[in-house]
Amino acid sequence: MTAAIAQRDRWFGFAMTLPGLFALVLVVLFPILFTLWTSTSDFTLLKPSNDAFLGLSHYTQAFATPEFRHALSVTLAFVVAVVTLEFLVGFAVALALDKVEHGKAVYYVILLFPLLMNPVVVGLIWKMFLHPTLGIVNYVLSLVGIAPVDWLGVPDNAFWTVVAVDIWHQVSFMIVLLLAGLAALPKEPYEAARLEGAGTIRCFFWITLPLMRPVIVVTLLIRLIFAVKTYDIIYIMTRGGPGQATELVSYYIYRRAFVGLDVSQASAMAVILLLVVLALTAWLHRYMRSLAQ
Amino acid sequence: MTEIRLANVTKTYAGGQTAVDGVDLTIHDGEFFVLLGPSGCGKSTTLRMIAGLEPISSGDLFIGERRMNEVDPKDRDLAFVFQNYALFPHLTVKGNLTFGMKLRGVPASEQERRLAEVTAMLGLAPYLDRKPGQLSGGQRQRVALGRALLRDPVAFLLDEPLSNLDAKLRAQMRTELVKLHRRVGRTIIHVTHDQIEAMTMADRICIMHDGKVAQVGAPMEVYRNPADTFVATFTGSPPMNLVPGRLENGAVHFAGASLPLDAKAAAGEVTAGFRPEDLSLAALPDRVEIQTSVVAVETLGADAILVVSLAGGQEIEMRVPADTRLEPGSPVSVHLDPDRLRLFDRQTGKAIVRAR
Repeated sequence: MTAAIAQRDRWFGFAMTLPGLFALVLVVLFPILFTLWTSTSDFTLLKPSNDAFLGLSHYTQAFATPEFRHALSVTLAFVVAVVTLEFLVGFAVALALDKVEHGKAVYYVILLFPLLMNPVVVGLIWKMFLHPTLGIVNYVLSLVGIAPVDWLGVPDNAFWTVVAVDIWHQVSFMIVLLLAGLAALPKEPYEAARLEGAGTIRCFFWITLPLMRPVIVVTLLIRLIFAVKTYDIIYIMTRGGPGQATELVSYYIYRRAFVGLDVSQASAMAVILLLVVLALTAWLHRYMRSLAQ
Repeated sequence: MTEIRLANVTKTYAGGQTAVDGVDLTIHDGEFFVLLGPSGCGKSTTLRMIAGLEPISSGDLFIGERRMNEVDPKDRDLAFVFQNYALFPHLTVKGNLTFGMKLRGVPASEQERRLAEVTAMLGLAPYLDRKPGQLSGGQRQRVALGRALLRDPVAFLLDEPLSNLDAKLRAQMRTELVKLHRRVGRTIIHVTHDQIEAMTMADRICIMHDGKVAQVGAPMEVYRNPADTFVATFTGSPPMNLVPGRLENGAVHFAGASLPLDAKAAAGEVTAGFRPEDLSLAALPDRVEIQTSVVAVETLGADAILVVSLAGGQEIEMRVPADTRLEPGSPVSVHLDPDRLRLFDRQTGKAIVRAR
């Protein structure tokens, strides 16, 4: 009797999730499978029907392409720079804000503004600010006698400018998550440590840092996953330039597919990127599960 | 001789509410001193002020001869055990125990020696490599105590250390704490809301109420001669029976009975108080008879609580043998030991001293 009811509940639940599942299959699973298939064939947009199975040759080709390898290394440098700096700045700000007693909400609102903005808007704003002759940044610098800087026109400048804009945009994410972690820390160990004679620095390295480890790891991983996929800011601000100085892998894939129309090759590269993100996500998922236990 | 003395100590929070109000206390060297009171009475705040975890708003704190108000907590030479133990969750038991010694730069060999001594005393040796998350409540409690013991302080401050343990373990830890106190010989200030803890462990109890000291005294003194009706009802389980009475012509009239006595108070409204065990069903010599009717018998096992109602309908409780069988609603006369009758001023609730 109860088994029958349980069975019926299961079917009902299944029926209720069916539309959602169908939508997911249509917009997520199908494109992924199509990309997988495209990456193993010589698909061309001109003649979608005329394609032959090529196996993994596009994958070996991808790693043999110097531009792709370059894009990977730029991405790696970008991710490391962005995540490290955002973490350091974010943690410092979070520690400072944790001690604020009045007006915390005001800080939160201010901090969340950049995060709430669309990356395209962020890119456009900063592109205007940083314009070599018309931008406000060079104007302000000129007021204190500093010669105008070509922020996005020189390879090294462009890379660090993009990093800086990304930090401006995303650092609040770190701050908010780390701040939540700090606020959730138990108060008593600090009192116990204080009675034992531990000062602020000791408390930070002996208590705060170890206790915050789970929050730190999760925050870093989430930020890492999103940083690897960065696209919008590059598209708006530099188009990967000057030269290939800021060509992140997702932008390079886009260019390969929709500018170069080499869809099959780009698909293989997209799958490689997907695998990287998937690996990071699996790592995050496993870590969070291990925390829950 | 390290006496801990609080002189007119007051704690007022920024919001204006007063948590502790003009407390005067002297805690003798080596004493097991219990601060007892309901939650919110200011007992934990008092303890935290002694430890230096809360600044003192006004008044003075002395440890020995030295005024300690502005002294940093670490320099007060006190050990604190928190209600939820406050262990460092990322450190092993050993790490937790040696944390303070590492901070103070105690040499490694000395650390090992004292660690071995304390772990042996508390039976913690098998758990040294475990993290607090892998310990039971009782074991965590022991680690917290161990951390305090390793400091070898002037006094131990315990903030409701037993309240997170189950009843059986709590009873066991009570005994262990008393043994530990005897062994270590240091002052213990123990905060609790549990009157059984206070009665069983304390050399002296301080009962606090609304931020003020209601009474300080040895457990039986507080139990027998409560300073006011609050103490009378807060101690004892069931608490002291309080019935309205009247002092007139050298006798007190209450519950339909009267008892001649020479109380020092003028005639007037009083509250008469007596404990459940001061009543008996048997008409022993010199006892005061009170007419009541049976409401219920609550059997506790070793004995029973007989609930009876007075003529006015007020219910009082008395302790009777476990095998007492009485029909609810039937009349019964109970007998009060007149020596145990306590009188309180009806207005202020303060005890009226009886000449005897």
